[in-house]
Amino acid sequence: MKADKLSNIMKPLLESLIAIIIGVVIGAVVLKVSGYSPVEAYAALVKGAVGSIYGWSMTLSSATPIILTGLTFAISARTGIFNIGAEGTVYFGAIAAIVFTNMFANPVLGLIGGIIAGILWALPAALLKVYRGVHEVISTIMLNWIAFYTALYLVLGPLANPNDPNKTLEVPASARLPLLMKGSELSLAFIIAIVAAVITYYILWHTVLGFELRASGYNERAAQYGGINPKRAIIWSFVIGGIMSGLAGATEVMGRPPSYAISQGMANIYGYGFDGIGVSLVGRNHPIGIIFSGIFFGALKAGATYMQIDAGVPLEMVKVVQGIIVVAVAVPGLWDLVKKVVRR
Amino acid sequence: MEEVPIIDMKGIVKIYPDGTKALKGVDFSVKQGEIHGLLGENGAGKTTLMKILSGMLPPTEGKIYVKGREVQFKSPADALANGIGMVHQHFTLVEVFDALHNIILGMEGHGHFSKIDVDNARKKLQKLMDELNFQVPLDVPVENLPVGVQQRIEILKVLYRNVDVLILDEPTAVLTPIEVKELFDVLRTLKEQGKTIIFISHKLREVMEITDRVTVLRKGEVIGTVNTSEATPQLLARMMVGRDVVLRIQKPPKEPGEPILRVENLWVKGDRGEDAVKGLSFEVRAGEIFGIAGVEGNGQTELIEAITGLRKIEKGKIILNGKDITGRPPKELYNLGVAHIPEDRTHMGLILDMTVAENAVLGLHWREEFTGILNSIRWSNVKEHAKKLIEKFDIVAPGVDAPVKSLSGGNQQKLIVAREVSKNPELIVASQPTRGVDVASTEYIRNYLVKLRNENKAVLLVSADLDEVLQLSDRMAIMYEGQFVGIVKPEEVTEEQIGLMMGGIKDES
Repeated sequence: MKADKLSNIMKPLLESLIAIIIGVVIGAVVLKVSGYSPVEAYAALVKGAVGSIYGWSMTLSSATPIILTGLTFAISARTGIFNIGAEGTVYFGAIAAIVFTNMFANPVLGLIGGIIAGILWALPAALLKVYRGVHEVISTIMLNWIAFYTALYLVLGPLANPNDPNKTLEVPASARLPLLMKGSELSLAFIIAIVAAVITYYILWHTVLGFELRASGYNERAAQYGGINPKRAIIWSFVIGGIMSGLAGATEVMGRPPSYAISQGMANIYGYGFDGIGVSLVGRNHPIGIIFSGIFFGALKAGATYMQIDAGVPLEMVKVVQGIIVVAVAVPGLWDLVKKVVRR
Repeated sequence: MEEVPIIDMKGIVKIYPDGTKALKGVDFSVKQGEIHGLLGENGAGKTTLMKILSGMLPPTEGKIYVKGREVQFKSPADALANGIGMVHQHFTLVEVFDALHNIILGMEGHGHFSKIDVDNARKKLQKLMDELNFQVPLDVPVENLPVGVQQRIEILKVLYRNVDVLILDEPTAVLTPIEVKELFDVLRTLKEQGKTIIFISHKLREVMEITDRVTVLRKGEVIGTVNTSEATPQLLARMMVGRDVVLRIQKPPKEPGEPILRVENLWVKGDRGEDAVKGLSFEVRAGEIFGIAGVEGNGQTELIEAITGLRKIEKGKIILNGKDITGRPPKELYNLGVAHIPEDRTHMGLILDMTVAENAVLGLHWREEFTGILNSIRWSNVKEHAKKLIEKFDIVAPGVDAPVKSLSGGNQQKLIVAREVSKNPELIVASQPTRGVDVASTEYIRNYLVKLRNENKAVLLVSADLDEVLQLSDRMAIMYEGQFVGIVKPEEVTEEQIGLMMGGIKDES
């Protein structure tokens, strides 16, 4: 039994490790073929990501939002739902944080604003799913676009910064999350993400709610037989997921120097929701696994800059290599998910 | 001088990979141009035999002769090439395709990109329909057509492949009485044109009406073949259910107490929107096992799901201990003292990917003993509970943290029974409690149901296993097409009477 448990943890770890190696090797081939030195490029990547305290701080601060959006995907996947609406929820989390902090100048209220926005933006997809049978993939994709353009309007219009045309109103200094390290981008936001992951783990495996979410995710019919209301479970998973993504947006603007605002084209809050899907798959939809896979993704992001500067690899090629590694690493998790869906 | 039978199956044995012996040396022969009935209870082996004849299953042993020539079918295509086609009980139509495309599906032409010759196919089909004297709309998506028409499309689909022998598996199960009549007209036309038809059924009246000869199967063996004109429903019923009584369960006489469950004029719809339960009324009393027998698919599943809160009730009332519980959700029913052993162990009774411990509390996981502050789960208590169940019910499990799918079928079922009993219920609803369960576990579960009855619980038992219902029940009902044909005491009826009732005929004598 003990050995069983151990192999339950070791097997995915080993699979992930092999996947990373495969991804790195394929990436190396691509680099070589394109005329760059793979050794130099990877050395720059590693050095940039984990070669210094500053590198670590960049890695961890880059990991913060995608750990949170990874949790959104994970809790829904555990409930049998394919929620890809984290992206749009992040935008509104960030916007709500800017609005709340400008109104109250208080970090706690800023975070609460992000949470409320997250819940509100998660509900439409949840309610459509439960009461009208609209598939969550369809509704969340569409809601992401609605969120994008609505947020863009707010960023360019009502929330535009009168003193700086490149961004929105800033989070006032008194409402910013304290930095963990002077001169870095690493703030309390990272701790919030870790705590959120631990809470998510606790909910899933140590509460009645989590039991019911997982039961519904495995087998809706059996859950219903077991006195569980699967509709209620689905709504809860969307709500908790919304909280996580709302927090991702809020912490990004409240705890990421230097801007403390949303940039004009929303570039600084764009893409985290989608990255979260990969983070969750690599972390096997497990909150603790997500912490590590989030840091891995964060390292790729942080190191990418150095690959560009030190090894002279153009940004596009850096992204290709990054993408190859991510796809390779996500394959085992994706494979599990596909098997589960096919089995239904 | 005997003519050569068109189909001759000799010594057919079928053993499934899990060891189930479905057919034990069956001889079966069909004459050219007859309608041959194949009659038997659930699990008698009718469908297995015909799946072998239609090439879907290989026989473990035995030989098949078509027109005197030995054949070996590796696939349904082989059988079709020999002129044998089967229409299944569950249709195999692409719902969004029209009839034409469904019928030509798989014979569109050669090569992936060759053009489908729709016009030619349409002409051929029209000619076929004219000959048979029945029409189906060819251009309407089949999902928009009534079930009876869909079935004709299935029949056409097989005939379009030039078969001589048409096998129909329980073709009337899904039809309304008028559609049945129309189907029979079609079958008679086919017979006139020289086709041979094998008609699988458990409905005595239909077999008497449409067939020329009947072969009765029971538990994987042929009981006999008779000319329908010389048979009576009574004879067929006796052949179908006559049996040696196996191990008797010890059941002391007991005077039942107050009614625990009362069902009043209950109407429930099936998955396709048809009326599956049609105005049932009955009661189950404390200290009584009330059994419901009948061929599966006569509304038992829908009845149980309605009583246990899993299916919408259209009309009528369900009363538990004097309290109206109509339409209440499962959780509330469990808290009021209902336990449910569902018929589908792997898809409903258990969550296979979860652990033994987690499954041991499914449906009572919210109880105080298992929860702490902030609705947390007290795993130590949950595991303790699981261990107790394992010990008390002699369940073989590698441990409480093992996934429940690592348990054998019998042990899984025992875990369900153990869990449901641990709810300390007043009413136990047990649906097919021993299906697919090994002999030892079966006996254990049956004895436990009797023990619960002796402890003055009310037990509602539904089973397709007639022996089980006969042995366990204090009173039993026979269900047929959503209604009870009769409520009887097992010791006061003959097998013949039960067989007749299961076939939908109430014996007035």
